Amino acid sequence: MSIQNLNTFDPFADAIKSSEDDVQDGLVHVRIQQRNGRKTLTTVQGLSSEYDLKKIVRACKKEFACNGTVVEHPEYGEVLQLQGDQRENICQWLTKSGLVKPEQLKVHGF
Amino acid sequence: MDDDMVFDPSLKKKKKKKTGFDIDAALAGEQGESTSVEAPAGTGDVDLPEDDNLDLDNFGKKKKKKKKAVFNMEELESTLPETPPAEEPEQQEDEVIDDLDLDIDFSKTKKKKKKKNIEELVLEDDTKGEDQENVEDVSGDLWSGTDRDYTYDELLERVFDIMREKNPSMVSGKKQKFIMRPPQVVRIGTKKTSFANFTEICKTLHRQPKHLLDFLLAELGTSGSVDGNSQLIIKGRFQQKQIENVLRRYIKEYVTCHTCRSPDTILQKDTRLFFLQCETCGSRCSVASIKSGFQAVTGKRAAIRAKTA
Repeated sequence: MSIQNLNTFDPFADAIKSSEDDVQDGLVHVRIQQRNGRKTLTTVQGLSSEYDLKKIVRACKKEFACNGTVVEHPEYGEVLQLQGDQRENICQWLTKSGLVKPEQLKVHGF
Repeated sequence: MDDDMVFDPSLKKKKKKKTGFDIDAALAGEQGESTSVEAPAGTGDVDLPEDDNLDLDNFGKKKKKKKKAVFNMEELESTLPETPPAEEPEQQEDEVIDDLDLDIDFSKTKKKKKKKNIEELVLEDDTKGEDQENVEDVSGDLWSGTDRDYTYDELLERVFDIMREKNPSMVSGKKQKFIMRPPQVVRIGTKKTSFANFTEICKTLHRQPKHLLDFLLAELGTSGSVDGNSQLIIKGRFQQKQIENVLRRYIKEYVTCHTCRSPDTILQKDTRLFFLQCETCGSRCSVASIKSGFQAVTGKRAAIRAKTA
């Protein structure tokens, strides 16, 4: 009779694995802000500074057919800004490109 | 047809198990009892609960011998066509040995564990449908009359049965629906939105209006305030559906208990951290603090410059 409790189990197995192949740590906040009229602005905060945000924004602008920019913030670091409601788009794009895991994404707003 | 597809792999698995078991049994002879117990445990943890249910049923019903004979034959037929022809003779031999083993064991009829395992292998797919119904009936201690040790899964089953007996509400409703009145959201002019029953909702949620206000404003990324007749005025255009969405997120994070999902909780502030204390299950866990995060400049930059300078 084998006792399940005595089976060897490494509690740090996944911790080691995730720290190896992952640049992104911490949550990525995707927010939306209302501007005048029915215009909106999407901000992406918390992307790892290892990534080249300028390249990301260049790709996103082309992909979503919108304008965008990278803003430097003293507290939150580099923040992506995209015109329009790009929350769905940016979430899909970030996960598909493998930059961010789905569980690290946090979408705010309505 | 889907069922067949699902069952086929299990048949194959059984096959493997059986052969492994046969070798052990053949080698070990009389000591086969101990090896046979280990065989299914080692093959896969996923199979274990099912197996256990099965043997619960079998002990309850006491049909063992008849079923064994019938299903072994069926299994023979069903498994053989799948295997490649080259291996066929060997496997047939195996099964012959297996049958012999079974017969020997049952003639002795003392080794309950061994019996159990054989039945698990044989009856696995057939009793799958039955055991879901029978689990509730077989709530007594199955090992009480016998001198064998109880298994972990049996004990687990027992605990869950007792839990279900003690609080039937958990089984029937899963959880009571948390009913709330929908937020009344009205547009004021073109740029502002009024959340009319804001304080009422705060009361039903048992939360400080300030906390909910902070959350709403941070999530929506706007500014706003509570006016004289206790309604919330938010800057920007919002619809009821959108506010509902945000409220739902608030309730999920700050109202329902993260362990038992009961809405009967208290939010306390303890050394700069918010803690959610559940009144039902007594769990206590910290919740994320409300942060508005990065706010882009959307207004007129000239106005901001004038303000700061």
